[in-house]
Amino acid sequence: MITAFTVNGQPRRLELDPATLLLEALREHLRLTGTKCGCDDSSCGACTVLVNGQPALACTLLAAGCDGADITTIEGIATDGRLTALQRAFGRMGGAQCGFCTPGMVMAAKALLDGNPDPSDGEIQAALSGNICRCTGYVQILASVRAALAEAAGAAADAARPKAAADAQRRAAGPTPPPQAAEPQSAHG
Amino acid sequence: MSLPSFQLHRPRELAEAVALWTEHGAAAKLLAGGTDLIPSLKQGLFAPDHLIDLGAIAGLTGISRAANGDWLIGAMTRIHEVAEDPILGREFPLLAAAAGQIASPVLRRMGTLGGNLCLDTRCLWYNQSYLWRQSCGFCLKKNGAVCHVAPGGRRCWAAFSADTAPALLVLDASVEIAGPAGARWLPLAELYSGAGDHPLRLGRGEILSRVRLPAAAAGMRGSYQKFRIRNSIDYPLAALALALRREANGAVTARLALTALNPAPVLVAGLERCLAAALAADPPDLAAVVQLVNRAAKPLSTSTVPADYRREMVLIQARRALEACLA
Amino acid sequence: MASRPQSDAARAIIGAPTAMVDAPRKTSGAGAYTDDLAVPGMLHGKILHSHLPHARIRGVDAGAALALPGVRCVITGADAPTAYGVLPIGKDECALQPDKARYIGDNIACVVAESERIAAAALPLIRVEYEPLPAYFDPEAAMAAPAAGWLHDHRPRNIEKEYHHVFGDPDAALARAAAVCRNRYVCPAVTHAAMEPHATLARFEPDGGLTVWSSTQVPYYLHKTLARVLQMSMERIRVIKPMVGGGFGGKSEVCPLEIVAAVAARRAGAPVKITYSREEVFYTHRGRPLQLTELETGAAADGTILAVRARVIQDGGAYCGYGPVTLLYSGALLGAMYDIPNVRWDGYRVLTNKPACGAMRGHGTVNTRFAFEAQLDELAERLGLDPAELRRRNFLQPPCRTVNGLRVLSYGLPECLETVVAASGWRERRTGRAAGAPPAVNDGRGPRRADRASAPSRRHGLGVACSHYVSGAANAVDRADAIHSTVYVEAAAPLPAPAGGASGGGAASDAAPPAVAVLTGTAEIGQGSDTMQAQIVAAALGLPLAAVAVIAADSAITPMDLGSYSSRVTFMAGNAALRAAEDLKQQIAAALARRWNCDPEAIRCLGGQVLGPSGQALSFAAAVAAALPPGAAHLRGVGTYSPPREAQGGDFKGAGVGPSPAYSYSAQVAEVSVDEDSGQVTVHKIWAAHDCGRALNPVAVEGQVIGSVWMGLGQALSEEMAYTRSGQLANPGLLDYRVPTILDSPPVEAFIVESLDPEGPFGAKEAGEGSLAAVIPAIANAIYDAAGIRLYQPPFTPDRVLRALQARAAAPASGQAATAGQDQPETKPGPASGPPPPSPAGAPPQAGG
Ligand SMILES: Cc1cc2nc3c(=O)[nH]c(=O)nc-3n(C[C@H](O)[C@H](O)[C@H](O)COP(=O)(O)OP(=O)(O)OC[C@H]3O[C@@H](n4cnc5c(N)ncnc54)[C@H](O)[C@@H]3O)c2cc1C
Ligand code: SF4
Ligand code: FES
Ligand code: FES
Repeated sequence: MITAFTVNGQPRRLELDPATLLLEALREHLRLTGTKCGCDDSSCGACTVLVNGQPALACTLLAAGCDGADITTIEGIATDGRLTALQRAFGRMGGAQCGFCTPGMVMAAKALLDGNPDPSDGEIQAALSGNICRCTGYVQILASVRAALAEAAGAAADAARPKAAADAQRRAAGPTPPPQAAEPQSAHG
Repeated sequence: MSLPSFQLHRPRELAEAVALWTEHGAAAKLLAGGTDLIPSLKQGLFAPDHLIDLGAIAGLTGISRAANGDWLIGAMTRIHEVAEDPILGREFPLLAAAAGQIASPVLRRMGTLGGNLCLDTRCLWYNQSYLWRQSCGFCLKKNGAVCHVAPGGRRCWAAFSADTAPALLVLDASVEIAGPAGARWLPLAELYSGAGDHPLRLGRGEILSRVRLPAAAAGMRGSYQKFRIRNSIDYPLAALALALRREANGAVTARLALTALNPAPVLVAGLERCLAAALAADPPDLAAVVQLVNRAAKPLSTSTVPADYRREMVLIQARRALEACLA
Repeated sequence: MASRPQSDAARAIIGAPTAMVDAPRKTSGAGAYTDDLAVPGMLHGKILHSHLPHARIRGVDAGAALALPGVRCVITGADAPTAYGVLPIGKDECALQPDKARYIGDNIACVVAESERIAAAALPLIRVEYEPLPAYFDPEAAMAAPAAGWLHDHRPRNIEKEYHHVFGDPDAALARAAAVCRNRYVCPAVTHAAMEPHATLARFEPDGGLTVWSSTQVPYYLHKTLARVLQMSMERIRVIKPMVGGGFGGKSEVCPLEIVAAVAARRAGAPVKITYSREEVFYTHRGRPLQLTELETGAAADGTILAVRARVIQDGGAYCGYGPVTLLYSGALLGAMYDIPNVRWDGYRVLTNKPACGAMRGHGTVNTRFAFEAQLDELAERLGLDPAELRRRNFLQPPCRTVNGLRVLSYGLPECLETVVAASGWRERRTGRAAGAPPAVNDGRGPRRADRASAPSRRHGLGVACSHYVSGAANAVDRADAIHSTVYVEAAAPLPAPAGGASGGGAASDAAPPAVAVLTGTAEIGQGSDTMQAQIVAAALGLPLAAVAVIAADSAITPMDLGSYSSRVTFMAGNAALRAAEDLKQQIAAALARRWNCDPEAIRCLGGQVLGPSGQALSFAAAVAAALPPGAAHLRGVGTYSPPREAQGGDFKGAGVGPSPAYSYSAQVAEVSVDEDSGQVTVHKIWAAHDCGRALNPVAVEGQVIGSVWMGLGQALSEEMAYTRSGQLANPGLLDYRVPTILDSPPVEAFIVESLDPEGPFGAKEAGEGSLAAVIPAIANAIYDAAGIRLYQPPFTPDRVLRALQARAAAPASGQAATAGQDQPETKPGPASGPPPPSPAGAPPQAGG
């Protein structure tokens, strides 16, 4: 069946089997592989995209059900080839380690920030609570969203920087001398 | 992962959906938000030839008020809207609390109230792939003749695990069922059969179209207690809703319902009388009320979390809900 | 070679918070992981798995599947009969099993079809004739199985391996100890659950060569195994590792799909891609085994630990994999973090009809460390000592060798401990006492103390624990004399094109065009190995980071590295990269020294320039041009790393596992509260200090430390592979295998401790695993501090905690700690003594305890 929707601003018409999931339409038919598949039971958020501005799991939607919709994927949010503040912050603050959850995280965070330019930490955590990350423990993800907000607010990003930055400043002030290499001895005679 | 193929219908009118659903019967499934159905299709729990998508039907969404002040919520209204609607939230905070704890934020934007009320029952031996189910022998609920939870028996005990159902039960909600013979209203409790393998009492061609919340239930004190291991994503493993109002004359109106424990959401019978007796003592003695809940709950080994713990948990929830609403 | 940043330029790179060089690929969605790849004519493979836990395969009839339109071929065990395995002593599995299925999920056949949907539809059409065999899911029962229940004929009683190590005289030492604790600990299996499911794409080239793109941590082992099973020479095979969405050990040995895709591509005459479903990832497993630990520790009255005795049984599942290594780590590191003169350790690796275990973050140490650090807490209480003080009194005094021969040069553990003790307010805020006794019936009040008010108790408690880990194994799994890592640094050469757009490696940003290329076989899996090598090379050559391009993990282009496992990459490949850069620098210096007529040693690389002793200066590019031999297109610096002989350990049986050139250390304090009605545990905060030698990139180190702590938190609170009585994994998906969400994840404050290891690159050592183990005992000890219950079995789910609270309530109100829902602490270690393990084969699948 024919499905027509807008993806990242471009109108698309696809001839699809009705059982095709939006995720398959994006990844296999449109070769937009930035949207990831992490689970088979709608429980990880890696496939999060925006459908008419709302976050949605592409693995749990029929493509045909999105007929006429406006769909945005991770590939579609940069402007003029420049990554958004959110994307840059994920890179800078350690919010992306292996990067596999990142597209879904970024899209879920974008959906939040689009509707709420000044969220609390609790609101950010709530908004990201359907997205599993196996690498970061989420600390640097929260810091990334905060840093993007700080940048957007034109505020000094310093406040939201991880401790690492402060440590580095301290370290730059004066490195500790290295210990002398020494011959190992038995601790037990 | 791909879904097995089917023919997709996207009716624009409820009547058209009813007609299709009547025509195809067991060869078809209804699709609302799909957050329950699509994962089940991936696991091969259903292999419908026809899928009837309710998403294009005008008039099935939205929250409105009837002339008599009752509230009406369309079956295709998203859970997110039910949880976030400011006026509904003020009148029925219990419903907002239950809806707001469903799954995860993204799933709440996709899932619908109708889908939540019509949720398939869940069981560790059932919500699995074909390979998995094949490996221990198919069970009663799907293709088989045995139950792995209660091996001797002929009943399915899969747990009904939707969060809005107990909240709506204690708010005395009713549901509108559209069918080939027209529409009918029935109290929500009558939607559920109590059989894990056929949890809904819907006839051929019948579709849940609206939920009605009586104006009389507005403003009741409420408490929703949900137990799950993680604070997001997870289905409830034991949950309880309590709505309570102390009338001016000192009488107490109260209803209490359970979910995720039995094959249907359970409205606990005899609560008001028991509660009145409990409140007569000073200090109030809630133990008898807790025992009432204890008798109503029938958790079995349908999940990896032990059933006896889920039972203990619901008793704790009962006490906490009562203490919160009586405070 | 205690290298450290010599110049300001180096210092601006080494130790500076640095974004990953490949971050834009991840955040833009443009980077390609294996499943993102598609090549013309590509077919899709789906594997048929056994639905029986143990069965002889009598025949496979694929006729009906082959008849389905769109199916190209079906392959079975007969198509790839060569057995393989990561260890030379454990080549016991085939990509598709030819004659026996050994667990539910074992690999039987593969359908190759034009689409994934067709392949999936064909799977149930394959008819396999099985002859069921008795199956064992409990390791202690498997050890007593009759021959028909042996998984592998050559492994009687299902014992894959056993080892018995004795150092000093532990029996005598325990006899004279002032206090001895004995407990049995049960740690259920956990798995990696990396977000990217495994995927492999294999293509035969027209000239008969094979190209394989795969989601792997060990491209080199994959390369060797493909050569072995496909019976091709390694030169005919090219292995490319695209971006990898996390590994944690789950991709650190060859997984069946990697071989099957190649065999299928050969049979089908077309490229074949296989991507695992999430359920298949769970069946592939290779995660942390269920471990039964009987442990005894004895100390003198002043807290000096005199001896430790342990009996460890690991439930290895159906195949060997890394099994003996996992087992040996549980012993080798048991007594190696503190100064313990007498150690006895008996270890058994048992085969059962479950998915095979293997390496998972903190490989082999985590469950033993949990037991030991939890037991130290008890020992401290018996001795009336602060648990932090007990640890302090048993620190190693490096440089030294531990009793089992591990060489320790750098040791930041004391500083780690003091850091978290100070940051957490340990002295002031720890309650340091256990709770008392409440009523026994559940009237909805829970096992709360009768005298307590109605509101549930949420007393906070603090717990401390430590852990450590290797910076790479000093001994390679297959060859004693192996070179572990080779890195090239090339200058002024045209850059080799990244193959298929898919090879790893980080392009420098848009600034200056890269001046040097790092060619490395290391596998970037999200841990930042590309960035690390770019930093090291940039620092060594006085170049900006943007001037270094990293080309990684393409066997046609890059030299050999053993892979990303055992936290070896920063130490080993980092050293190789540093040496390669220094080699390049020496070539440049030698040439310029002739021109400038000076000592080559006096020539420095700084700020993008090469500087002579008396004010001479050339840009780096000009210096390279000047140094090029006539006719040469590029300069290549070569660096290799092999661990020094002194770090390779003793020579007893099993001594090869445990030795490392350096060890990381971690100390943690956890703050928790326990809802005494429901047993629910909340972790409020974790302070984690990690000695990583030197933080080359603090953002990455913090990310690794926090990520490790968090993964341990999952094992402590919610993660567990639960099995049914019929041997099915009850939770083979991300809905029921409960990886913590952001709402379950407490703030983790990471502190970096830098002990500057004398052999690490710029002093660096491991950061990515060592912090995992401490968090589990830290939480257990904090639960004791909060609620007075000892827990011997993670995860500390509410049901287990409630059982322990109830047992505390039922215990005589003597102020003694309850140990309920658990085995008696007095169980003497000995064969098959003590009650059976709570969970694994129980019916229905339960949290056990
Ligand atoms: C990871 C995950 C976690 C979840 N956690 C929770 C949770 O915590 N609590 C909870 O309550 N639910 C949970 N769910 C289930 C689900 O998301 C919600 O219940 C949701 O509200 C279902 O609505 P839907 O519109 O998506 O239903 P669908 O999947 O579209 O439908 C569900 C079932 O109802 C039938 N149906 C739908 N609409 C109608 C109708 N109008 N008339 C008759 N039959 C109908 C369908 O045929 C289908 O059988 C979870 C789901 C997932 C994937
Ligand atoms: S309760 Fe019994 S019959 Fe019902 S789904 Fe579970 S195992 Fe099947
Ligand atoms: S892939 Fe869609 S939720 Fe996991
Ligand atoms: S960065 Fe790897 S899963 Fe989130």
